[in-house]
Amino acid sequence: METATASASFSDSSHRPGRLRRFSQLRQNLSGHRSRNSISNRVSWLSSSLPGRDSTVTQVGNSTAPCPDSDQPTLARYTSAPTSSSRALALDNQPSSTDSARSNSPNEPSRTSNVMARLRSSSAMQGRPPRTLGRTTTPDGPTTSPEPTAAAAAANDAPAEGISTPPVEMQEGEEEANKPKQKATIRFFPYQDTYQNSRPSLPFVPVARTLPSESCVIRVGRYSERDGIPIPNPAEPSDAPVGFKSKVVSRKHCEFMFVNGQWHVKDVGSSSGTFLNHMRLSQPNMTSRLYSIKDGDIVQLGIDFRGGEEMIFRCVRIRIECNRSWQQQPNEFNKNTESLIKNLGKGDTADYSGCRECSICLGSVLRPYQCLFMAACAHVWHYKCISRLLHSPDYPMFQCPNCRAFTDLSAEVDDTPEYETESKKAAAAKAGPAPEDETEGPSRSATQTPAEAPATNAAGESSEPQEQSEGRAEEGELVTDVENLHLREEQLAEADAESRGSDSPAPNGSNDDLARSATINIPGFQPTQPLNVPPGRSSHLRADTPVRSETSDDNPLTPRNDSGPLAFDGRAGMQ
Amino acid sequence: MALPKRIIKETERLMAEPVPGINAVPHEDNLRYFDVSIHGPAQSPYEGGIFRLELFLPDDYPMTPPKIRFLTKIYHPNIDRLGRICLDVLKSTDGPRKDNWSPALQIRTILLSIQALLGAPNPDDPLANDVAQRWKDDEPAAIQTAKEWTRTHAMA
Repeated sequence: METATASASFSDSSHRPGRLRRFSQLRQNLSGHRSRNSISNRVSWLSSSLPGRDSTVTQVGNSTAPCPDSDQPTLARYTSAPTSSSRALALDNQPSSTDSARSNSPNEPSRTSNVMARLRSSSAMQGRPPRTLGRTTTPDGPTTSPEPTAAAAAANDAPAEGISTPPVEMQEGEEEANKPKQKATIRFFPYQDTYQNSRPSLPFVPVARTLPSESCVIRVGRYSERDGIPIPNPAEPSDAPVGFKSKVVSRKHCEFMFVNGQWHVKDVGSSSGTFLNHMRLSQPNMTSRLYSIKDGDIVQLGIDFRGGEEMIFRCVRIRIECNRSWQQQPNEFNKNTESLIKNLGKGDTADYSGCRECSICLGSVLRPYQCLFMAACAHVWHYKCISRLLHSPDYPMFQCPNCRAFTDLSAEVDDTPEYETESKKAAAAKAGPAPEDETEGPSRSATQTPAEAPATNAAGESSEPQEQSEGRAEEGELVTDVENLHLREEQLAEADAESRGSDSPAPNGSNDDLARSATINIPGFQPTQPLNVPPGRSSHLRADTPVRSETSDDNPLTPRNDSGPLAFDGRAGMQ
Repeated sequence: MALPKRIIKETERLMAEPVPGINAVPHEDNLRYFDVSIHGPAQSPYEGGIFRLELFLPDDYPMTPPKIRFLTKIYHPNIDRLGRICLDVLKSTDGPRKDNWSPALQIRTILLSIQALLGAPNPDDPLANDVAQRWKDDEPAAIQTAKEWTRTHAMA
């Protein structure tokens, strides 16, 4: 029995074979839209019943501040010339300082400095109990989709159950998404050892994972046809296994897990070894202990066999990027930069006195009529200054010199219509006070101004339980939902007006997701638009998914891989 | 070859807002060549010493790191007899994590890193193997030697 209930549906969507796969994609898409809304509803509703949580929710809702104060100075420190010695030092210890900056952020009060976490043994010892717990709760990642009914039930009494219900993974994951806490996100980039004259390692498409719950484990091993096609970069949280098409990678090679706010790697008995920064973790066929990993670490799987002349015998070298999701969400710094750049040459130059300089030539970037390059982390340089780093031997990989964040420059452009709809929405909302965030580019979803939280509360309380009790179970209805969804995009203006009229007295900052939920959840609104889904639509819909979200990992630079996860040599499509 | 604006700006800022305990002055005849002196950090074996270094900005700077060398003799596991320094941000071709130099780093940040290195020797990533070994085997003795060297060489 499968419902389209938001919380239940997308957890399993990626692992469904055959015909159902299509549907689950649709559902995933749908629930991507709806769950977010219903969650924000649910959570704010939840929080209103838990007085102690009010403040945290406001923090989430406040689009200006996922990480209010701490980020801005930290990031700014990398662009502006350091003026004090402590600042300058922080630049040197870049990777760790970003990490600690993150841990200092109000979002993560409990996190301690990652510097200590480098003491691998100690953290590994701490790490053990939760890990085993994680294994018991998720014995088999892909197949442990929570029972929809269970999830729905859990959703209903969410206030009572709280977040510590590990069996209901997605439920937990979603709640976490709305909590100020960041989700555990990790990305694997191919890494080439340029300083040794070793052969190139196995090329692969960058892989991203956001754990649906902290107890999940990402298993890494040899790609196998039998496992089905793993998804390199799912739009939603996933602990799908990662497969590499190399003979030197064992079927069960290593595992990545998130324990005590820290990512760890563990060799699970590979024959040719897992290497962390060139150190082998265990003897052949032996399981290693947990080793903590941090942003920028290199993990190598196996050793070249027969000189690695054939692609299939090459080892895999992975550069780890973790705990950077805060950077890929709207924050004070990148929004500020965005607006500064947008106003280039418009306003009086006094506005941007000395706030942004090119870290390479130390000149201001905020002068009109210059060619600029802005990285995903919102650091900006003159194109002339940065061009050598762009067109390096590592191209298309680009490392930000300021914050060392990695980006795949060849990744497909994220042209999801979120921006479009949002700006339309902004236009529609001209009557009301449209806040600046609204127009600020693809300013990702899940941004709620505190002002509208009450409105959402109301909507949530009225429509949410109803929707769940309905328990719509059939795919047909799903299709209807999807179609409604689509219609919403076409008739955005009217629908917006409608939703505003009916639900929310003042949806100032509401992105169109919110509006969507409002309309979709209204009983009686749905049945008025039953339509067939034209076959061509579904792909279009797929692209519609607004990816910038709490899942944070699927930022627009995450490549969308249409040819499967194992495009090792660019011929994957043909295989 | 004309001096890039970046170097001019950096020099100006170094002069205008000097870093406490660090002094860097360009040569008059070669503005890419700096005479540097670093005060040994407090609570370190190098406290009280003033260490002289030379710093050169290669043509490719800031795309390549500055070349820096201690001129004053110093007993430190990450600094060898010739004064060469083992510091990740100064390198672009070594170590498991290559290229820790970033053009966003500057002379002042690098010098601060070196000062920090004096305060936190790292014998696990040695450049002077004998010193590092001694540091590991008998740290108090090694620190004592470092203090002596500081007295004899860095407090003239």
